[in-house]
Amino acid sequence: MNPLLSVEDVHVTFTRQGIVARAVDGVSLDVAAGEVVALVGESGCGKTTLARTIMGLERPAAGIVNFDGHAIDRKRLRAYRRKVQLVFQDPTGALNPRHTIYEAVAEGHRVHRLAGDEVAAVAGALSRCGLRPPERFFTRYPHEVSGGQRQRVVIAGAMVLKPQLLIADEPVASLDASVRGEILKLLRDLVDGQGLGLLVITHDLGLAWNIADRIAVMYLGRIVEIGPCEQILERPQHPYTKALLSVVPESKQLEQQILVGETPDPRNIPRGCRFHPRCPLVQHGEAERAGILNECRTQDVALAPTAGNHQVACHAQVRR
Amino acid sequence: MTLLSVEELAVAYRTSQGTVPAVRGATFTLDPGETLGIAGESGCGKSTIANAMMRLLPDGTAVSGRILLDGEDILTMKPGRLRAVRWSELAIVFQGALHALNPVRRVGWQIGEAIELHERAISAAAVRARIASLLERVGLPAERADDYPHQLSGGQRQRVLIAMALACNPSVLIADEPTTALDVMVQAQVLELLQELRFAHDLSMIFITHDLSLLTYVCERIAVMYAGRIVEEGPSHEVFESPAHPYTAALAAAFPTIGDRASRMAPSGLAGDPPDPMDLPSGCAFAPRCPLVEDRCRTFDVQLTDAGDARRAACIHVPAATGPR
Repeated sequence: MNPLLSVEDVHVTFTRQGIVARAVDGVSLDVAAGEVVALVGESGCGKTTLARTIMGLERPAAGIVNFDGHAIDRKRLRAYRRKVQLVFQDPTGALNPRHTIYEAVAEGHRVHRLAGDEVAAVAGALSRCGLRPPERFFTRYPHEVSGGQRQRVVIAGAMVLKPQLLIADEPVASLDASVRGEILKLLRDLVDGQGLGLLVITHDLGLAWNIADRIAVMYLGRIVEIGPCEQILERPQHPYTKALLSVVPESKQLEQQILVGETPDPRNIPRGCRFHPRCPLVQHGEAERAGILNECRTQDVALAPTAGNHQVACHAQVRR
Repeated sequence: MTLLSVEELAVAYRTSQGTVPAVRGATFTLDPGETLGIAGESGCGKSTIANAMMRLLPDGTAVSGRILLDGEDILTMKPGRLRAVRWSELAIVFQGALHALNPVRRVGWQIGEAIELHERAISAAAVRARIASLLERVGLPAERADDYPHQLSGGQRQRVLIAMALACNPSVLIADEPTTALDVMVQAQVLELLQELRFAHDLSMIFITHDLSLLTYVCERIAVMYAGRIVEEGPSHEVFESPAHPYTAALAAAFPTIGDRASRMAPSGLAGDPPDPMDLPSGCAFAPRCPLVEDRCRTFDVQLTDAGDARRAACIHVPAATGPR
């Protein structure tokens, strides 16, 4: 089966004052219909740039974004922007405070000049997103509903266009803990019930455990580990994934592995494996004992399969 | 012996729409060297408690109850005494390190300001030395004193705020969402630092956050707040693992344990939203969202009661709770 979305070796660069930042540095990623893929990484790893590129908001320096079997280009952009919808982190910022909830949801319907009854479409989208009865919400303003309901309005605004793919950038990060589960449940239900594909961008591994089928872990512009959710979270192979998992309060692992420093600058990506300056295997001498220290320091490493659909970009894994 | 004792604290903000009761009678204590976590969602009153302890509430706010620090009530202190106590007895690390720092001043100057205000006779060289040693204690090179806030990363700015809070050797440190805006790895670094400092300086800490699972990491005891009240309090692991209040149970389940099959593909949340503080439901404020609600919950306002093993909970299902059966 062809994936709904297929990103092939995409590079995105930003140049300022002659210095090139490689924000996305060769990423390939598929999302199938009915699948939830979590793109996980810390701020500055390029995950939001990748999402913007998939939306057609940034132009890749190299590589292709395919949707439904076709590369997106100028001609297809308008139709594509209906089929792919973005859900932002902060629903308060995403909604115009002077527009009623009806207007907020109907806007996409008007912009894309969709056929059919607008009122019915808005009511349908609101009730599918758990705002029932929908008519009760039509004339209300964003500030008159709760944070959780505002995020439902944003999702309804995307759903009114009957998209095939949703991209959600930290959809619950700004919501209260008790509301978070309900919104995640809604997203998973939309995927299962309507056969949507969902790419969810997050730093939250607990969220991935709650709803994702697959996880891609991003570090400094590259995917360093990708595979089925359970495998990545229960048997991580890449030292970066292991370290990330060891510090989230949601994981059961006892031994914390706190990396020193912060994600390096994408204008100055380290030579060799991009993770080696912070890698615990390098720092604790395990790479040297395995005889791979030189490779870690000098040779870039690509994703390679370990087991099943699980892929890892680490010299220690290649050697094994 | 109790270092800090908050008794029946109630805070109501005055707004153009009317009076908003943000904290509705909170009582808790903090022992020397202890870390107490206060958990709850936005609007539950947890930051209001922090601001009340520092006397940072806006003018006209109605405050009642007592906040005893070493037996002395902070709420009735004269301005001069309050200035002496703030920062040298009781210091706060705010959330959002970008907004808590002055963007047009070097961070060293900002740390030094607090020192100079408390020790008028101190020489400029001594201040510089103190700034350098404070920065090193929080894991930053002393040269960072010459940087402006925008030159630092989020984690480094949070470290500067911690250095500033430690500048006058306080005995109590209040940390209000100190890691909320940070990435998980940087969060882990900052938490590790706070733990080290806590033991090195014999600090007592009040750690405020919405993330209950984080508190079990850093705190001996947890107080969970809902709609301006403490609804459960007790040793952190017991509270997290066997909650006595259904709201605590919901909060604990909101952040799943990775590897726990029951939560895989099954996000857990509560229907509804926290109540509007200006329009609280009658009876138990949690009743409209409570999975265990009974008729009597909607009329009887249950109080925090002893739930055994140094625990307290405000739920009619706690055996010792008094109320209509």
